Amino acid sequence: MRHDLVIYETDAARIDAVLERFLGDSSSAAVLLIDRSGEPLAMAGAARTLDTVSIAALAAGAFSSTAALARLLGESEFSVLFHEGLKESLHVSTVDDDAILLAIFDERTTVGMVRLFAREASQGLGAILVEARRRPRRTGVLAAPLTPEEARSAIRQRPA
Amino acid sequence: MSIINYAAKVINFKLVYYGPGMAGKTANLQFVHRCLPDDNRGNMISLATGDDRTLFFDFLPVSATSVRGFTTKFQLYTVPGQSRYNMTRKLVLRGVDGVVFVADSQWDRLKENVESLRNLSDNLREYRLDLATVPYVVQYNKRDLPDVAPLDYLEYTLNRGARRVPAFEAVAVTGKGVFDTLNTVSRMVLLREFGQVQEGAS
Repeated sequence: MRHDLVIYETDAARIDAVLERFLGDSSSAAVLLIDRSGEPLAMAGAARTLDTVSIAALAAGAFSSTAALARLLGESEFSVLFHEGLKESLHVSTVDDDAILLAIFDERTTVGMVRLFAREASQGLGAILVEARRRPRRTGVLAAPLTPEEARSAIRQRPA
Repeated sequence: MSIINYAAKVINFKLVYYGPGMAGKTANLQFVHRCLPDDNRGNMISLATGDDRTLFFDFLPVSATSVRGFTTKFQLYTVPGQSRYNMTRKLVLRGVDGVVFVADSQWDRLKENVESLRNLSDNLREYRLDLATVPYVVQYNKRDLPDVAPLDYLEYTLNRGARRVPAFEAVAVTGKGVFDTLNTVSRMVLLREFGQVQEGAS
């Protein structure tokens, strides 16, 4: 089962708009849209200064393990994961079967506010992602197959 | 699950290092992490137990050369090898684009290798993936140890499925075979994504 995803410029702009609105409405410090395979898809707020690649991998791992826990208890999923810190807290919620929404927030807001606006944002994001998954995978410069030279490209080791 | 982002000009792939406990999956990632320039890799995360056994996964994001202006990125994951952690292994496989099976070459680990390979096949099936079609390579690790099975025997035991896949001898702790393995599977993933112009075609 391949859930490949292509995000075009227009999708990215619409996703960014929803995230910016969620960031403002919920007064979060940073918000991230994350694919459940662990890949960050988009972000807003202070997320740009964080190690979002690591955060996305860990949040997706935590959320998927929570979902597995739910299934052990006979639930289909726990739709929200909440971690409360001394200064900053984390709220992760379901967008759809393939994506989750993470918010990092502090004392300027409450988990109730974040939860309220996360639900609204998730609906908007879910609709955009459904459309994006229906689009053709490769167009423009990526449409042609790889040349032999491109196929030989490699992950290069640092010279000793 | 590859993700192409036309706005950020990035293509993302997920590679998973699979295999029995203590076969050297984490050692592969540690060597890659040590040997890549800072610009080509992110932080390595290890979710391990107190005695350094992988509990959930290790994670290392790396950047490869770009394709037509798009940066290709590979997210490297390991799974916990111990048999009791099957549920977490299954979770890590979600969205996988390419698999490295790291086998322990020692004679007395053959059974664990076979069981782990069977388990990989079963777990992939849950995502409707198949070892016969998914980009996949085998690495025979720990070739420096005294009591290892001959390569032919390992090939016969672990690499005789519907298709023979590329296989590499390795000593992951010293780096031998690590980049050959990674580069081969990453090229296979790219070829599967894009296809290739036939050599000599104009």
